[in-house]
Amino acid sequence: MRKGITAIVIIVCVVAGFAAGWLFSPFLAGVTRVSLVDQIKARGYIIVGTSSDWPPFEIYNTTTEELEGFDIDISELVAAELNVTIQWKDMDFDLLVGACTGGTIDMIAAAIMVTPKRAEVLAHSVPYIRVNELIIVRGDSSLTITKLEDLAALPDKSVGCQAGTTQEEELTDANVDYASYVSALLMLADLDAGGIDVAFIDEPVLGQYSAYGFKSIFIVPAEPTALWCKWEEPELMATINKALLEAFKDGTMDTLIAKWF
Amino acid sequence: MVETPDLPSIFFYILVNGLPTTLLLTALGLLGGFVLGLSLAIMRVYGGIELGWIASAYEKVLRGIPLLILISIFVFGIPGIFWFIDPLMRPFFGVILALGLRSGAYQSQLFRGAILSVDPGQMMAARALGMNQFQAFRHIVLPQALRLAIPSWSNEYAVVIKDSSYAYGFGIIEMLKVAFRVSANYPLLWAPTMVVVAIIYFIFTFPITKMFGERQTKKLKKLGMGGD
Repeated sequence: MRKGITAIVIIVCVVAGFAAGWLFSPFLAGVTRVSLVDQIKARGYIIVGTSSDWPPFEIYNTTTEELEGFDIDISELVAAELNVTIQWKDMDFDLLVGACTGGTIDMIAAAIMVTPKRAEVLAHSVPYIRVNELIIVRGDSSLTITKLEDLAALPDKSVGCQAGTTQEEELTDANVDYASYVSALLMLADLDAGGIDVAFIDEPVLGQYSAYGFKSIFIVPAEPTALWCKWEEPELMATINKALLEAFKDGTMDTLIAKWF
Repeated sequence: MVETPDLPSIFFYILVNGLPTTLLLTALGLLGGFVLGLSLAIMRVYGGIELGWIASAYEKVLRGIPLLILISIFVFGIPGIFWFIDPLMRPFFGVILALGLRSGAYQSQLFRGAILSVDPGQMMAARALGMNQFQAFRHIVLPQALRLAIPSWSNEYAVVIKDSSYAYGFGIIEMLKVAFRVSANYPLLWAPTMVVVAIIYFIFTFPITKMFGERQTKKLKKLGMGGD
């Protein structure tokens, strides 16, 4: 009897193995390449990844129940160029790059700044806006700094930044021991609660979280931001760039900048 | 950003927008874990050395991997694994697969214990009445074992519903993500929002573990089933 069960289970496993092999074979054998643009047009939507705690670039408005922001409008331009709708994937910022290389999302629109390191992994569009980064502290703090390296003198883990951002790279380069957060929301809540004394953030974002009463003590000029997709999909990148450049040319971009900043 | 909502409206907002996804993740994860766990338990009890070894190796490996890593593997690591599903739904199924595989490893232990706690004399009696081993297992042992497993299974439910909150980072809009979205809109309500979402998880965990856990244990004791 025991042998019988063993035999049955082994047969089931073998059959399941063949079934799995059959299911995955198109994926393993490397089917003829269909460009992502064609796939997107065929399915009628583009999947765009974002991280919705970075107003005015992107935030999920719980009153209107819609994502809104500068990046959201920019992505709509790209979708209009492709003549498809957008399906949003709202995830952690530091997971966006992995999600895009893995193919879970087609494009990233999350105010990601262009850096050589990132450009090794993913392709970036023409930059569409440049904002400064700010070192911010609680309203009652008396801390002042004259350069980023000054932060290294603070106690360990008293500087916060968002994981995977350029701010994180800059703090690493400046030899500052920092705490990194998966979302800006957590970081600002911690700054308010006193868990950290200093946070590093994009300039427009501070304005949106003005309820906290934080103040800026130092400005760091930063790289411009761009939309990102895979290097393997030059057709998609060409479409993105076309949409962006057209928006620059016909004034849409200026209207959007005036609207959000 | 202007009007500040009161806590009950945050409560219902999270409930309406996040709870269905959370419960769906939990239900499908538990279901996957149930099928897998029961098969593994049967392999361990009746499968002989070889199958038992496979099952226990699976349990040991899966119990040693953090769920977050499993989710990362199935959502981003092997993106082609769900190539036949609509690309939008792939992260969702990746999370369910991770929850199911992990829960299966735990549920296997739980069902193995339940099967073993049915008196072996019953199996012998059934065999003496002329049933074969499969019939005896299907009609005598399994119904009792499943009933015995209910209290500990309700505990597994409590684990899975809480672990489903890991999905928030992977683009799945479940309760925790909805709570984060609310607090992004109203930064000053950060702490209250977190308390509200904690209360919701508690509401959906405690009564069920109470009903299926403690009360069932008492009932089973009355019936004289389970360890005394």
